[in-house]
Amino acid sequence: MTIKVIGFARSTNTLRVISCLNELGIPYQLEPPADFAAIKKDDYLAKKHPFGKIPVLYDGDYKISESRAICRYLVSKYQGKYNNTILIPHDVHEAGLVDQFIFYESFYYEPVVAKIIIHEIVLKTPESEIAKRALKDLDKVLGVYDKLLEGKEYLNGEFSLADLFHYPCAHFIYSSHADLWDKRPNVKKWLNRLRNRDAWKASLEKKNKL
Amino acid sequence: MPIKLIGYAQSLPTRRVILTLNELGLSYELEAVTEIHTIKTDDFLANKHAFGKIPVLCDGDFTINESRAICRYLVSKYQKDAKIVLIPDDINKVSLIEQYISYELSYFDPPLTKILLQEVFNKRRGEPIDEAIVKQAREEIEKVLDVYEKILVGKDYLNGEYSLADLFHFPCAHYICTDTQQGDIFDTRPNVKRWLDNLRNRDAYKKTYAE
Repeated sequence: MTIKVIGFARSTNTLRVISCLNELGIPYQLEPPADFAAIKKDDYLAKKHPFGKIPVLYDGDYKISESRAICRYLVSKYQGKYNNTILIPHDVHEAGLVDQFIFYESFYYEPVVAKIIIHEIVLKTPESEIAKRALKDLDKVLGVYDKLLEGKEYLNGEFSLADLFHYPCAHFIYSSHADLWDKRPNVKKWLNRLRNRDAWKASLEKKNKL
Repeated sequence: MPIKLIGYAQSLPTRRVILTLNELGLSYELEAVTEIHTIKTDDFLANKHAFGKIPVLCDGDFTINESRAICRYLVSKYQKDAKIVLIPDDINKVSLIEQYISYELSYFDPPLTKILLQEVFNKRRGEPIDEAIVKQAREEIEKVLDVYEKILVGKDYLNGEYSLADLFHFPCAHYICTDTQQGDIFDTRPNVKRWLDNLRNRDAYKKTYAE
């Protein structure tokens, strides 16, 4: 039975899961809900996600939600099955460092980028104080990332789940703030590598088709 | 070489790691950080934590930060020698534990942290408590705890058996109970109350909070 993902191809959290599926070469079907209201209805809350969120993944009868947990599940179960891509290394120390960078994404990067996405793209209030402050915060965060990426192609040296997690958010705001990213040589090269990965391009095709 | 933990024993993320060390029966040295400026030096940022945060764990030559990453690393490396299972082998069970860990990060921690910032940290700094923020955060966490109350029906722990997901939730919840006026949010929900009581009665928790 094919894996089923309930989500919107244009949502950053769903794109995280789609990228992971594509990186590992796992076949899947994307089933978008009717609209955002549908995921807040009692039936969805009871059967799919008690907090009314997407994505939710079904692997046969097994159901799991929360994009980063879903990706970890996919790596645990399918890494190495369809291709040779390693998203979480086997070595306990390297895996620990990938995990550490995943938490950098969760705590220092994503909240800031999410605010910019919400204000610029969803609410269409790019001049709000929150958006402006978030851009200043992002500037500082990218300064840290530029140092982290010194002498490295990816956060932990080789491409991993940590790098994958960063890209979907960046994709939505890169073009309106290219200078922020590009003025940092290591960040610029890193983003370029991420956007040119075949799996990401395939994920974008999904977004553009739906 | 013993494990070294750089942190502050009363800080929530440090407690998370100490709980895990104690559950796994691991000995460690705590290098207490008492002044913020020591974790913002160039050396600390370059070699310990790029964003200048604690805790940081040094295991021989290996350095890792971010409390939840540290805990997962400790479990991966040392669980096989311990008498406890914090992350089981079964992929499906592990992944649901990861889902609950994500719930903790996304839905449980944020409103509780807002309350702590107001009622504990602002108070400590002699700044006024913004009651509107406390009220809004309380409304938010009440809805989250209604979900947890259902998740915990017929269960002592989130995924049935005790796991790292339960441990991750405890430091924040406990701090709300001991140091704020909002502890009733847990006590008025029998399944949530039972869950937290189960946790605080575990030997590792008693040991952690006695220190």
